[in-house]
This record gives sequence, C-alpha cells and structure tokens, in this order.
Amino acid sequence: MNKLSYVIKNTFINMRRNPLLVVATVLAVLVSSFLVFTTLSGRAVVENNTSRWQNGVHVVVFLDDRVTTTAHKQLQDSLESYPEVRMVDYFSKAEAADEFKELFKDQPELVQEVDFEILPSSLRVNLNDPSDYTLIIERMEGNPAVKEIRASGEAIERLLSLTNTLVLAATVFAILIAFAAFILIINTLRLTAFAKRKEIKVMKLIGASSTYIRLPFIFEAIFESLLGTSIAVGLGWGVIQYSKDSVVAESIFDITISDTYLINLTLGLILTSIIFGFFASYVGIRKALND
Amino acid sequence: MIKLDNVSLVFQGGSVALSNISTEITEGDFVYLIGHSGSGKSSFLKLLYRDTYQTKGIIEVVDMEVSSLPKWKIPILRRKLGIVTQEPQLLEDRTTYENISFALEVLGYDAQEIDSKTSTLIDLVELQENAYKFPYQLSGGEQTRVAIARALASNPLVLLCDEPTGNLDPDLSIQIVSLLEKINRAGTTVLMATHDSSIVNRRKKRVLELSDGKLIRDENEGTYI
Repeated sequence: MNKLSYVIKNTFINMRRNPLLVVATVLAVLVSSFLVFTTLSGRAVVENNTSRWQNGVHVVVFLDDRVTTTAHKQLQDSLESYPEVRMVDYFSKAEAADEFKELFKDQPELVQEVDFEILPSSLRVNLNDPSDYTLIIERMEGNPAVKEIRASGEAIERLLSLTNTLVLAATVFAILIAFAAFILIINTLRLTAFAKRKEIKVMKLIGASSTYIRLPFIFEAIFESLLGTSIAVGLGWGVIQYSKDSVVAESIFDITISDTYLINLTLGLILTSIIFGFFASYVGIRKALND
Repeated sequence: MIKLDNVSLVFQGGSVALSNISTEITEGDFVYLIGHSGSGKSSFLKLLYRDTYQTKGIIEVVDMEVSSLPKWKIPILRRKLGIVTQEPQLLEDRTTYENISFALEVLGYDAQEIDSKTSTLIDLVELQENAYKFPYQLSGGEQTRVAIARALASNPLVLLCDEPTGNLDPDLSIQIVSLLEKINRAGTTVLMATHDSSIVNRRKKRVLELSDGKLIRDENEGTYI
C-alpha cells in the first residue's frame, strides 16, 4: 500500500515537471484516438447501410404507362426467371404516389404541386448478388414495356469507394499522429528521468527493483494515454449522437450503429491506449535505467 | 561474508582494473581497502555490489554468488548491503530527514516505521540538529553522515564505503571513521576504500592494499606504507 502511494505520488510529481509536454502528449493521443474512433464508427455505419442496400432493392425497372397489364406481368415473369434474381415486386402508380408523399412529407408545397399521374409504376428487383445489376440492365434495354432502368449499385459502389479512401486516409493520419504521440511520451519520460537521474541512481543503490523505479513512469505514460483516449472516445460518442439526431442522418444516411459495437470499440481503444502507454514508457525509461 | 576467488576485471580496450584478486572478509570485520588513485579500489567495491562485472573469477557476497547473479536479483543483493559513495549523492530538494526517509520509503516501510527508523538513524549519525536542513546547508562531513544513515536504512550486513572521507579535512575524517567503527561494533561488516594514510595509520585495522589492480598486501592491524 505504501509502495502504491509512493508510485502514485511520484507519477503526479513527474507530470508537474513538464506540464506543457504532458498537455501536448494528451492532445496528440486525443486526436489520434478520435480519428480511430470516428473512422471505425464511420466505416461501421457505411457497412450497415451497405448491408441494408444488399438486402434491399437493387434495380428499379420503371414501366411504360402505355403498356398493358399483361405485358407488365410478362416482364415480371421474365425477370423472375433469371437465376440472378431473388425477388421481383410490382409497385403500382398509387404506391409510388404514397411513397413520394412519405419521402417529401416535410415539403408540403412540393407534394401539392406534383401531378402524381406522371409517376410510373415499377418492378423492384432484388438480386442474389447486387453486383449483377448490369446484367439486368443489358437484358431490359430495348424492351418496349420499359420506360427507364435505375440501379442503386453504381451510387453505392461510388460511396463505398469514397468511404474506403477516406478510411484509409484517416487511418494513415491516425497512425502518424499516434507515432507523434509515442515520441512525445518517450521524450516527456526521458526529460523526467534526466531530471531525476540522481534519485534513480540512489534508488538503485538502495536496492529498489527496476520495476519499482519504472512504475511511476509507466503510470505517467498510461495516465496520459488513457486521458487522451477517454476524452477522444467521449467526443466520438457525442459526434455519433449528434449525427443520429441531425437532418443529414434522416435524409441521406441512417446512422445506425449498435451500442455493443461502440462499447467494444471504446473498450478496445482504452485497452490499446494502456498497452500503448506501457510500451512507450518501456522504451522511454530503458536507457535511464541502464545507465 | 565476502569472498573473491581469482577475480579479474579488464575494461574494453584492454586496460586491467583488477588482476587475479583472491581474498576473504569475515563477518564483523573492519577492513581498509587502500591504494593510490587508479589502483582499482572503486572497481573492487563496484564488483561487490554488482555495478560492474568481473571478467573472470568467482565473487561471493552475503551468501550470494555475485559473479553469476542474474540482473533481477541485484536489488536483493543491494538490500543486504549499505553503499556509501565518495560523493554523498544526496537529493538536493530534500532535507536530511527526507533523504533518509526516502530510502525507507523505497524499501517499502510503512509511515510509522519510516518515522521511527528515520529518527533512530538521525540519532545514530548525530544529526538531530540538522534533521530539517537541506544538503546545501550542511558541511561535507554532515552530508557524508546523511549518506551513511541512508545506507543503513536497510539494516545492511555489510557497509561498503568508497572514499567517504575523500573530500573532508582530517578532523571530520576522524569523526566519520569513528562513526563507521560504531556501526561496526554493532555487528555490521565494514569495508572502506581510502587513500588517507593518517586514518589508516591512526586506527590499525586489517588492510588490503591494491596497486595497479593487484592485491599486494593483506595485513591484520596494517598501516599505510
């Protein structure tokens, strides 16, 4: 107990020696952890949305109003016969009008001005493999019953490509900042160890173990790392909550991310920050102990 | 208590610090390790508390084979030894009391024990009036006393002193040696490196003399020739 109080007391004495470096270290860890947290959360959100897309409608075949119901039915049968197709749903003009009203319920002026007669009926196609949407487009092109074909695949693929690029860029940036944080922690500890070189020498002569001498430095590095990460995670949770509540989330993207995922991510980051601090302190104090 | 068997220490580059040293110091001895500067006295002591490593030979200190001691056991060895260096190595920002209690704190004593043991040690080295003075407020002799008190914190079996009177005038040197004799009478083995002939000649104790890294003399009740 006495040793623990010695370690804790000395951890804070050490930090008081270089307050600016401690702040710089905490900030670097904070930025790095925040980037990791938001990047991984963002990727999870995109994956959730992609998954919904994969289970949803991949191709919409808008039907020509002049074509008869029989022709619509034949087209649906034809689509359903393709091995790539999992399911085909008929979406009537009335259903299209209802969907429009629901989508633009916040813009009553627009809903009032639209002539719902121009909204076509459609066949909504769900594929076994969403990337096969081009095959359906090729087969449907030139069919007189078809007015227009739209596939969500292209947009989703562009979004995924953009997301992957952003994730990669953020990851590289996070690693660079984490490396800077690592060097800052080592530098802070080395300065402290230099200031305490006589104390360390005396402790070694008295018979203090290396672990005992090292502990205040380990605690300091872990404390700084943990503090930066905790603030970053707190900010990350705040950003996600804000995004969930924001207009953007309602109109473009569904910010669905499970609490379990966020809790695991938080625990993972905190554990990583402890290991990070421990490793940095090990490197930082090694030379001082060997001298 | 201390045994060296054919011990040599050769530094990188080939300079010989100690050559084929064999000797034994028994429990309760008071031994002067003498020789001119550079004769190998400090290297001899450093080998005993594993601050440096022998090139060959076997070293035993307080029933531990120091010559093959794994690194993690060095603190265990040092807790059985008291080490006083020529520079007292006191922490400048702490008082006499705090310098001594620091050692006890490091050794894991609880607050009550630290208080009572620190007071006892301060009494032993007769620094009651200087207990709350900082090192810069103390004379050289008083600083050495603090260093000795700190070295005694672990109740060592052996006290190794590397020229503790090196920076002191004759009167203060005598006071320090008297203190070490007092500690020795209480049962602690004392090995003191010195090149101060007046001390050695005044108190005829066992003398080990080193010259160019060789043990050239081992005399009971020896003098500085």
